[in-house]
Amino acid sequence: MKKFVYTLALLLPLFAATAPAQESVAQQTERPTGEMMGNTCAACHGTYGRLGTAAFVPLAGMEVEEFVRAMRAFRDGTRPSTLMHSVAVGFSDEEYRAMAEFFAAQGTEE
Amino acid sequence: MQRRDFLKALGAGAMLASGLSIKSVFANAAPHVVIVGGGVGGATAAKYLKLADPNIRVTVIEKNPVYLRPYGSSEVLNDHIGMDDLEVRYDRLRDRYGIEFLFDMVTGVDPHRRTVRTAGGATLGYDRMIVSPGIQLLYERIEGYSASVAESRIPSAWIPGTQTRLLRDQLHAMRPGGTFVIVAPPNPYRCPPGPYERGALMAEWFKVHNPTAKVIILDAKDSFVPGPSMLLGWNRLYGYNVPERFQEGMPTEGEWPMKIHDAPGMLDWVAGRDGGRVLSVDPASLSVETEAGRFKADVLNIVPPMVAGRVAFELDLVDGRGYCPIDRRTHESTRHPGIHVIGDACVADAMPKSGFSANTQAKVAARAVVDLLAGRDTQAPLWENTCYALAGTEYGLYVADIFRLVDGRITRMEGPRFLPLDASRAQIRIGALYQQNWMRTFTEDCFA
Amino acid sequence: MSKHLLLFLLLFVLGGQALAGQGEAPAETWTPVRLHAALAAMPEGDAERGARLHDALFCASCHGERGESLSRHWPALSGQRAPYTYKMLLDYRDGLRHEDARAEMMVVLARMMSEQDMADVAAFYAAQPLPGSAPLKKGHPVNDLVRRGDPQRLITPCASCHGVEGQGGRNETPSLAGQRPEYLVRTLKAFRDNTRHNDVHQGMAQFAWDLSDEEIRALAEYYAR
Ligand SMILES: Cc1cc2nc3c(=O)[nH]c(=O)nc-3n(C[C@H](O)[C@H](O)[C@H](O)COP(=O)(O)OP(=O)(O)OC[C@H]3O[C@@H](n4cnc5c(N)ncnc54)[C@H](O)[C@@H]3O)c2cc1C
Ligand code: HEC
Ligand code: HEC
Ligand code: HEC
Repeated sequence: MKKFVYTLALLLPLFAATAPAQESVAQQTERPTGEMMGNTCAACHGTYGRLGTAAFVPLAGMEVEEFVRAMRAFRDGTRPSTLMHSVAVGFSDEEYRAMAEFFAAQGTEE
Repeated sequence: MQRRDFLKALGAGAMLASGLSIKSVFANAAPHVVIVGGGVGGATAAKYLKLADPNIRVTVIEKNPVYLRPYGSSEVLNDHIGMDDLEVRYDRLRDRYGIEFLFDMVTGVDPHRRTVRTAGGATLGYDRMIVSPGIQLLYERIEGYSASVAESRIPSAWIPGTQTRLLRDQLHAMRPGGTFVIVAPPNPYRCPPGPYERGALMAEWFKVHNPTAKVIILDAKDSFVPGPSMLLGWNRLYGYNVPERFQEGMPTEGEWPMKIHDAPGMLDWVAGRDGGRVLSVDPASLSVETEAGRFKADVLNIVPPMVAGRVAFELDLVDGRGYCPIDRRTHESTRHPGIHVIGDACVADAMPKSGFSANTQAKVAARAVVDLLAGRDTQAPLWENTCYALAGTEYGLYVADIFRLVDGRITRMEGPRFLPLDASRAQIRIGALYQQNWMRTFTEDCFA
Repeated sequence: MSKHLLLFLLLFVLGGQALAGQGEAPAETWTPVRLHAALAAMPEGDAERGARLHDALFCASCHGERGESLSRHWPALSGQRAPYTYKMLLDYRDGLRHEDARAEMMVVLARMMSEQDMADVAAFYAAQPLPGSAPLKKGHPVNDLVRRGDPQRLITPCASCHGVEGQGGRNETPSLAGQRPEYLVRTLKAFRDNTRHNDVHQGMAQFAWDLSDEEIRALAEYYAR
């Protein structure tokens, strides 16, 4: 199935290259691993989400469901945010889960 | 010293060992990865290679034993920080992760034998190489401008160093009521918001220290990132009148409306369509000839056109555009297999040339290098860029984007990417605090 | 090293423009008399205006729609006693409360608020239900500490000030019931290690000085939702 979707994306380069709506692109391109996606958050949330004390917060050890709920709420705008809305709209639900599992596996640091 | 402690403070307790269970596939024959350039891209790549597999031998060849970070370096000009706050040391990467450093200048490579040469006479073999040399400035592209003029009279201060200090000293000694002219570079260039942030920070500083001074930004371009949200900040803080074509969506009432100022404020931006393109400079009189006429400066800061760092040319990694073409999935050079290029020097399509970009590119490349060395399939990449920027020390903005590989190109996902124009004072203030925090947390992710 | 580090962090934080009031001398510490006067002068709070401020000032982005707290990193404010909330905002504003970089945000925001604003958000939080309750837990390992204290270590029962269900006490004595356990641990350690010293005459900190990490964790769990 995934392969099929991926091929579809290759057949639709025009659509993909012009106005990629997040969900559809996220679903049509090959899905990056939770670690690959999670690593892009490190500049603010720390390497592997293990930030020490700062105005930003760590993600390591965050419970999977809480993480997914937070990302959905950022995307839908039901959770107010200064920045995370812009980040959250770039990913699909499945990808939230993959990242959640990656961060949950990092354990907490206090 | 301070910088080191500061990294220690942030990193306290964190990530001494990777949380992922690592089963090295290189237990017997450890491959060697050589990294050219220990800036944002190179340092991050080295760290993430070691995190992925500590058995890989990683050597960074960097010409300076202490890195001066370009990101945040305009904050030296308004004395928000000192030159030594730009210093970043490599001890953490060496001690924590076992990364080897050779402080020397790379001069050449033999891509067939897979060896790299340095000015100091060393020859190192590599299994794969990652190159992140940043940019070089093409001073001579502007008539009248040159490297020696930049070092002595008209600094660019776009690669931090003596020019940064020179520019700071010139600005602080500028006569009352003098004019500070910034010449912004054409696309593509390092740090898209940079010239505009610099102009804003200096306008803010002048408001206190030289209230009749002027700041003029000359530009060949008609727009920039993060465009309207920066212009709105200028309007609110420095009496700048936003051109009509950018006014759409700007608040006209409420908590903090955009205003039309009768007298123009101290900061002005002359876009390309208004004749802002620079034709030549005259170092003796500090004046700039543009399509709109002559501008006489008291302090002149020129950010000239730029291309990939010189070593990228010496290693034959550059194409006609002056940057390094790559296979986007792995960042491997399309000109020389076995060599990956990241950061400002590579052709990354929709991605801006920023520290954040270089950092996420480094992670993609590091992962690809590990997989290729292990003979595994490479993974789907994903990149991100967020530039926090300031319109004033307490006025924070941002642009935030996710990038995916679509049809062989690095493609930006559509979506709301800027600070909203109707953002409240509190959100703007919070953004500025986050910007300051980002400088620290980002440095930690790259260098500690 | 840790002393140097602290000093450095302090310098870094104070030196950074992150704090608006650069160079301002920190406010005088509290005395019972001064606190009494400050609370007596607290403007009357308007909860509705407080609700609007809570959104406009982005308090909701960390503390949740009604102050119920969005994550383990940020304390709940809902149901909190108004004098306590008001005092905390004064303390952040005046630099009396600044445990670490995480408090920076509060310092910056409190400096954007008038005392009327502070009283209004305080009224808004006070009008919300507590995020949870902390009823008697007889078998709990710290039940005795909470209800009876520890005379040997001169620890007065927590309940005598914070209420038998952790619902809060007189004046600025806060509710603890339903608070995030991670926050309770953090702030109790801050009292113990003297990085939080905004309380009047160490009226709270003295009960934390002799607590072990284990007891702190257990106390947090006792009160947490
Ligand atoms: C004023 C200003 C503000 C900025 N603000 C931000 C910001 O807020 N956010 C953001 O994300 N980005 C910002 N940037 C951009 C960011 O700093 C750069 O994009 C980033 O540093 C690029 O990383 P890099 O690894 O490609 O190059 P660099 O960080 O420049 O590293 C290149 C390294 O290679 C070394 N090198 C070069 N040639 C050789 C050789 N032959 N042998 C050995 N070593 C060599 C150099 O010494 C250098 O250390 C800003 C830039 C400026 C100028
Ligand atoms: C440029 C900085 C930045 C980047 C990059 C970033 N975040 Fe955030 N994150 C924030 C900020 C700021 C907040 C607080 C909410 C807000 O104001 O946006 C936050 C909050 C969060 C929270 C809520 C945490 C909690 O305890 O409730 C989650 C989850 C999160 N981010 C996930 C991510 C993920 C996943 C990524 C990468 C895909 C990411 N963030 C990238 C700045 C960032
Ligand atoms: C970026 C996240 C963030 C935002 C936005 C924020 N806070 Fe906070 N708040 C915190 C954190 C973190 C703490 C705990 C800080 C500490 O340890 O001192 C805190 C603590 C508090 C406290 C003390 C709580 C206690 O139990 O002692 C009060 C009161 C408070 N905030 C009110 C507000 C108000 C009012 C606003 C909006 C004007 C606001 N906060 C906005 C993160 C935030
Ligand atoms: C003599 C009265 C008294 C006793 C006994 C007391 N407290 Fe307190 N506590 C206070 C006061 C007053 C404050 C508010 C301090 C301030 O001004 O910040 C406080 C604050 C706190 C806070 C910070 C709440 C927040 O939201 O930040 C915690 C946690 C706390 N106390 C826990 C305890 C525990 C646990 C005990 C028992 C071991 C205890 N207290 C005993 C009076 C008391």
